[in-house]
Amino acid sequence: MTGFSNKVAIAGIGTTEFSKNSGRSEMQLAAEATLAALEDAGLTVTDIDGFSTYTMDNNSECELARTLGAGDLTFFSRTHFGGHGACAPIFQAALAVHAGVANTVVCYRAMNERSEYRFGQPIDFQMPTAENALISLHTNMGAATAGAWMALCMRRYMHETGATTDDFATLAVASRLHASTNPKAFFYGKPLSREEYMASRIVADPFRLFDYCQESDGAVAVIVTSTERARSLRQKPALIRGAAQGATPKTASLTNFYRDEIYPRQEVAVVARQLYAQAGLSPKDMQAAIIYDHFLPSVMPSLEAYGFCANGEAKDFIKDGNIELGGGLPINTHGGQVGEAYIHGMNGVAEAVRQVRGTAVNQVAGLENIVVTGGSGGPTSGLILGVD
Amino acid sequence: MAEITEKRHKAACSSRDYDFFYEGLEDQRLMVQHCSDCNTLRHPPEPMCPHCHSVHSGAREMAGTGTIYSYAVHYHPPLPGFEMPHPIGIVELDEGVRIVAGLDGMALDEIAIGVPVKAEYLRRGELATLRFRRA
Repeated sequence: MTGFSNKVAIAGIGTTEFSKNSGRSEMQLAAEATLAALEDAGLTVTDIDGFSTYTMDNNSECELARTLGAGDLTFFSRTHFGGHGACAPIFQAALAVHAGVANTVVCYRAMNERSEYRFGQPIDFQMPTAENALISLHTNMGAATAGAWMALCMRRYMHETGATTDDFATLAVASRLHASTNPKAFFYGKPLSREEYMASRIVADPFRLFDYCQESDGAVAVIVTSTERARSLRQKPALIRGAAQGATPKTASLTNFYRDEIYPRQEVAVVARQLYAQAGLSPKDMQAAIIYDHFLPSVMPSLEAYGFCANGEAKDFIKDGNIELGGGLPINTHGGQVGEAYIHGMNGVAEAVRQVRGTAVNQVAGLENIVVTGGSGGPTSGLILGVD
Repeated sequence: MAEITEKRHKAACSSRDYDFFYEGLEDQRLMVQHCSDCNTLRHPPEPMCPHCHSVHSGAREMAGTGTIYSYAVHYHPPLPGFEMPHPIGIVELDEGVRIVAGLDGMALDEIAIGVPVKAEYLRRGELATLRFRRA
């Protein structure tokens, strides 16, 4: 164990309801989720001295502070790369708390990513920054959605590993099984059969409808503070055993078409390596994982990057209920973003905290450690949380 | 101060680093950047060679032939200017670099990894572009 490992913790989590139309502003969602997280932790607005989020959130740190009536802020940070960075605010907050520059950092994501805008639409940027010029190189050719980009990469993964759409169905059935017993999930009470998966329409071949995350409205906030302080608060702390970002020199956001291995694995491995080193743990020490599922098939190379199985063997690892509750490594026990809601990964962080507390609706018995990941196929992030 | 000249292409979101690519397509040529000092080909374009850090580069014409490295077929949502479904490919050119482009000149059942293809130049609206067909 090194540095901040186990010395910082998540002390509170708060969420709004998840829906297709929240009926209120994103800022209101952010403020409601923050208040809920504070209440959960047994803290008040006056305790907040830091905020951290990641890009594509439209609520500025200072506007949120003003809305809440918070006091002086000593730390505010925003990391790039949208959902790839889902775990990065917790990483940033952990650094800040461990460095002593902040005591109570709110990490948040609030969005009306269904009723007000949709990430699944064709992307059309105009300002010719280096990043946008790269995106336009593809959109001009009709490779214009995030789903189509990932489909291009995962087709190659299928070619190299022998994975098939039958394996995609296995992932979908497991996620929807977990969602079916989660009252907060969009697909609560609606498990999915393999036949229903195969009958669903193709969106970007090889991806079908149920490979895609649920575009959603909603907000999630989590409170990061020192473990010592968290022990005196209302909830059992979720210790941050590891927190990391990772990229390689050839990592681009979802458009990794030009490097040796185009599917989303190598930058995830950079994060995994750091997390295990920070925590002094290995894959066999993990009892569950929340693997980012913007596009569900991409979970397979992530499982390999985290060392849960060898490269190319995820198709075998996921079989026979191994990733379902009661299996060897239950994943996405809330139903994932394909089953619960797509709050850009922050709802997965909240689920991991519930698993550590022992309060998840699909609780993994005897859980000591859980992995959480940010979106793969770009500059990414991850966490290992654990029981005090 | 560099003179501001009108661009010789219609790509809405191009930069100084990318203009040569779209200008080449106006002339029905597939141009790929190469380092003027160490000669390495690189695509997508970058303003500096990652191998030797030279900022001097040129554009080299590719033969336009290669093989499909990966592909997808876009069905939804509708893409303005494209017919659905729209197949897209990552094509590995014979010169060794990859290009992403439409495969909409091909029948869906002839698209597979490893299939040899060649460039075909066309306009989509005002934009001069290319797609690949079976070689």
